[in-house]
Amino acid sequence: MKYINFKTACFVAISASMMGSVSADTLRMAFSVAPSTIDPFKSSASGTASLNEHLYEALVSRTNDKLLATSYGWTDDTTLVVNLREGVKFHNGADFTAQDVVYSSCRMMYRVGGKKNMLTSAMGPVTDVVAIDDYTVAFKTVGLYPILIQKLKSLSILDSGDADLGSTLKFDNTGDCGITRYPTKDEFATGKYANGTGKYKYESFSNTGDAVLVRNDDYWGNPGNWERVEISSVGNSGARMAGLLAGDYDLIENPTGEDLLALEGNSAYSFSTEPSWRTIFLVLDVGSDVAPGVTAADGTNPLKDIRVRQALSLSINRDAIVDKLMGGNATVASQFAPSYQNGADSSMPDLAYDADKARQLLADAGYSDSITINLRMPTNKYQNGKRVGQAIAQYWSRIGIEVNLVAEPWSVFRKGRSARELGVFMYGWGHPQGPAQMISYAFGTRNKPLNLGGSNYSNYSSPDFDAAMTAWAVETDEAKAFEYNQAAMRVAVEDLPGIPLYYQHSIWAHTSDISVSGRPDERTFADMASKN
Amino acid sequence: MINFILKRLWHSGILAITMSLIVFFGMYVVGDPVEMLSDDEFTEQDKIDLAIELGLDKPLYEQYFTFTGDMLQGDFGTSFVYNRPVLDLIIERLPATLEISLLAMVIGLSIGIPLGIFSGIKNNSRASKIISFFTTVGYSTPNFWQAIILIMVFAVFLQWLPASGRGLTNSMFGVEWSLLSIDGLRHMALPAVNLAIYKICMQQRLAKSGTQEILYQEYMTYARAKGISRYRIIRRHLLRNILIPIVTITGLEVGGLIAFSTVTESIFSWPGIGKLLLDSIHMIDRPVVVAYLILITLMFVFINFVVDVMYAILDPRIRHQK
Repeated sequence: MKYINFKTACFVAISASMMGSVSADTLRMAFSVAPSTIDPFKSSASGTASLNEHLYEALVSRTNDKLLATSYGWTDDTTLVVNLREGVKFHNGADFTAQDVVYSSCRMMYRVGGKKNMLTSAMGPVTDVVAIDDYTVAFKTVGLYPILIQKLKSLSILDSGDADLGSTLKFDNTGDCGITRYPTKDEFATGKYANGTGKYKYESFSNTGDAVLVRNDDYWGNPGNWERVEISSVGNSGARMAGLLAGDYDLIENPTGEDLLALEGNSAYSFSTEPSWRTIFLVLDVGSDVAPGVTAADGTNPLKDIRVRQALSLSINRDAIVDKLMGGNATVASQFAPSYQNGADSSMPDLAYDADKARQLLADAGYSDSITINLRMPTNKYQNGKRVGQAIAQYWSRIGIEVNLVAEPWSVFRKGRSARELGVFMYGWGHPQGPAQMISYAFGTRNKPLNLGGSNYSNYSSPDFDAAMTAWAVETDEAKAFEYNQAAMRVAVEDLPGIPLYYQHSIWAHTSDISVSGRPDERTFADMASKN
Repeated sequence: MINFILKRLWHSGILAITMSLIVFFGMYVVGDPVEMLSDDEFTEQDKIDLAIELGLDKPLYEQYFTFTGDMLQGDFGTSFVYNRPVLDLIIERLPATLEISLLAMVIGLSIGIPLGIFSGIKNNSRASKIISFFTTVGYSTPNFWQAIILIMVFAVFLQWLPASGRGLTNSMFGVEWSLLSIDGLRHMALPAVNLAIYKICMQQRLAKSGTQEILYQEYMTYARAKGISRYRIIRRHLLRNILIPIVTITGLEVGGLIAFSTVTESIFSWPGIGKLLLDSIHMIDRPVVVAYLILITLMFVFINFVVDVMYAILDPRIRHQK
């Protein structure tokens, strides 16, 4: 009897939710990370970036589509000239011109309320931004800086009419560009200046992370799919799923693997996945004489030995991790950036799984049954991260390595990492700016002028890798840059300063009456969804 | 009385200072705010700039003295994450927590005490046993589990109530309240009941044991012998006497509800201060966490003070003590 009641309840729940979500042209989304501001330059965190992308546009989209730019090119080594789209209007009706690009660049560098914008590094070594005419703008750099156009993906364009420009607007990467008044932080928070060229217009935003947007009917391209978009923020994944099932939301970010199993038997709901640019990999301290948390019987750092690194990689069955632990919602990695990302070597050979060979390599290196590794990882950061960590620990113990898995909160983990206390750790990283970016930070020898090696926690240094990377950093020809990047990637995969595991997929759960085509950059945009 | 108040002030000062020390240095041990705020793309120089901006480049003791010095002048600092004054953040979110706590408390008291008195008087009845059984279960199952069950039943299966968020708010005294609209109340229902379950159970047990103790006092027998009506005995003699422990506990519980309804707030995505605290701890937003906990300490001190005064009003022995 009870069973029947339960089934009836389910039926009622399902039919009610189907009725609920057929409502008007409104899309209700639940984010997993709360947007903290509608100022597009303040934070690169996913929630904030997702929200702001509805309102503001950059010159080029994250997937390299031309938005406010129609074409661009380097006229000499240090000048990037961008031609702008004509006939574009801001939400307040003002026309978009080159002046707005100069103003937005100034606003990016300007310390509003004395605080540096979190995305300032996007401007890189730009020394000047000049409006050549109304629809042409030139960016000048200190030296060769081919990835500038990629970096400018973070430069959201604001309306220069929102500030008092003073007599002459002249870009100045340390000062105020001669602008007499910028909208203050508080003014910005009122939404009065949430004025971009994006597909959706601002209606309301509360700093607890809820926002309401409406369609911009004057958009220059195809208008948005939805008349109205309501964004809520629900950090707890269970609560997010409950909200979907309760009919509070139409689309939610990042459901857990367990929740997906529950959805599979329910025709009212569905989920969509998209391979993301994030690679999950292990970082190995291969350079220090003593790697923290890694010990061998003879007191050396065993990770310095390439045979040990190869053994660590060979012992992991990536197919099993992807199929069994990730339920197929991941792609086995063969390198440190997804093979499907633009510019990557798509023919990189698979990384083998051969536990016997791994044991043999350890024996050859003289480290049979003598290595202890503390495998550190952040909790609640990557999908199924903890279980993957446990699997790695088991694979390694099978070849005679003693592994202590240490899972810590993100804050504790980050502190340990910056203090370089982590000899071996799991990390996830992806870049909208192409496959070379991540390895240039993670495995390059520290090179400040070229901005290489800033996050090299492997303490890795390889002349071959650096040669390819430094050539890449100043190569303006895209095809050649890709070649250098692929050469560097081959060196890294050969040397294994880290161990690639898999490329994560992003997942969105939603009602069955909408279809969703996801994005590879883990952001959520209303137009990903359309009504069936 | 003045002596009593002065002593209380002195104690609360020491408490606040101790609290600030523990939390300030504790947060420092847990994580590095610069690391939390910076992107993987940040250069070393970006991180140094950020540290200087946040005042984190100075030695820790200096940071502490700057922080406490500012606080004495009423400036609780600026949140690292939200980039806004901490006090504004807390005050903005306080109404959400206040209304949900008060609603939970009202539900808890109005159901818990009558149930307790009933089961105290009719101790051996079947109904009393059933009530006690349920309150024991409610008392001992974890709060978050109850929250999940509530969501499952009322939001997912029955679809009567929304599962999360605050819903429509209306303005009163320049503050946004959910209490004032039907939609807001619907959103409040589940989190308030979630918070109230524990209160109901506790109040029931308190009232029950109090009732049983008082019921057999000589003055109760005397009152009955005098022929006073049953209703009057319960109201004048029983209720008054069992209220003393209830007032103490309720005072502390109100404080607890306001300060630490973090679990309920995060499960129901209720945008109150508990959720703010949790989010800030995750992000190592030190100014928010320290200021929050100091304010909470002061609030508890104040509540205790109010409780003591209430005692004096309720219990003539304390009132007339010299």
